[in-house]
Amino acid sequence: MALRFEELIERHHDEIFAYVWRLLAGDRSSDRKTEAEDLVQEVYLRAYRNFSRLRANTNHRAWLYKIATNCAYSRLRQIRDGRRKAAALASVAAVAESASDIPASHGQIDRRLRFLVNQLPAKQKACVTLRYLQDLDYPEIAQILSCSHESARANVYQAIRRLRLALEK
Amino acid sequence: MIRIPRTDHAVVKQLRVALGDPAPLDLAHSRARVAKWLADEAPLIRWGEMRSPLGRLYAAVSGQGLCAVDFGRGEAEFLKRFDPRVRLEKNPQSVQRVMAQLSEYFAGKRTRFDLPVDVSMLTQFQKTVLEVTCRIAPGEVWTYHRVAEALRRPRSSRPVGQALARNPVPIVIPCHRVVASNGALRGYSGGSGLKAKRWLLQLEGAFE
Repeated sequence: MALRFEELIERHHDEIFAYVWRLLAGDRSSDRKTEAEDLVQEVYLRAYRNFSRLRANTNHRAWLYKIATNCAYSRLRQIRDGRRKAAALASVAAVAESASDIPASHGQIDRRLRFLVNQLPAKQKACVTLRYLQDLDYPEIAQILSCSHESARANVYQAIRRLRLALEK
Repeated sequence: MIRIPRTDHAVVKQLRVALGDPAPLDLAHSRARVAKWLADEAPLIRWGEMRSPLGRLYAAVSGQGLCAVDFGRGEAEFLKRFDPRVRLEKNPQSVQRVMAQLSEYFAGKRTRFDLPVDVSMLTQFQKTVLEVTCRIAPGEVWTYHRVAEALRRPRSSRPVGQALARNPVPIVIPCHRVVASNGALRGYSGGSGLKAKRWLLQLEGAFE
């Protein structure tokens, strides 16, 4: 029997929420929980509109992740643009603080790491989150991000390397 | 002492801690919000089943009325007909009145149904064909051509047949009372097809 929309919520809501919640990590300008809730609602709304047009063999999980990735990145772009405008109005030259400005004291490494993850290129951030936080395999990541397995693997490798080097500074 | 992760493995480990897991309460709150939105957005279809002389019979009602009847098929086959976005709820009480009238029909104690019917998913032409079909008295049969004539579209016998095949509530809307001009049963979308059509016409005394 074909998957029903209700099952899409029962089966995947929690992991989609965790995914967008993690993608929003490092953004300190907004209420992360409310932002994540709004995004998940948006993901299901978009999914609902297109659900009856899906092919029978669609991987529903990957499809939801794809929508979630798009929604999260649109929202992050809006937040970033809003912050830039606010910074320009206040005549603040530097919009983003440098990672090294955040001291490596107790409890600060996690904060610094979140900040650094937020500075990653969009695809690297999505790849590393999908691989190590959502525990998805490379074929699924490739499907979600519409890229090859090799590209997904390379993005994860580059992201981790970049994070390690930044932390070492 | 602060330990900076110096290997890729250590970075991944630290990343898992840094990005962490959302709180169970936040998850529950979001899940409830999405479920409430779906409840407001997606129509609710309640359904039930009963035994009948034509095999297992299923009926479903929407907010507008009876929207599906089927028989002689499995549950999964019956549920497959609904838009995957609607919410389905097995609720025998909501179809109690439908089942009672169908039982009376099978027992020969009822010839007409007094039920609100929801055919909103059909086109205007299909609805009109079904309205005309409701005029055919029990024990009587009309030809596809006669139905087409009643619609003032005498050349539309074939579209009439196609519209009847889309009848979502067979028996209640008696599409089995329409046959070919040569007296052949021609087709029936309910249950076991022509066998069921013959059985229903025999029950109504229209067919030996």
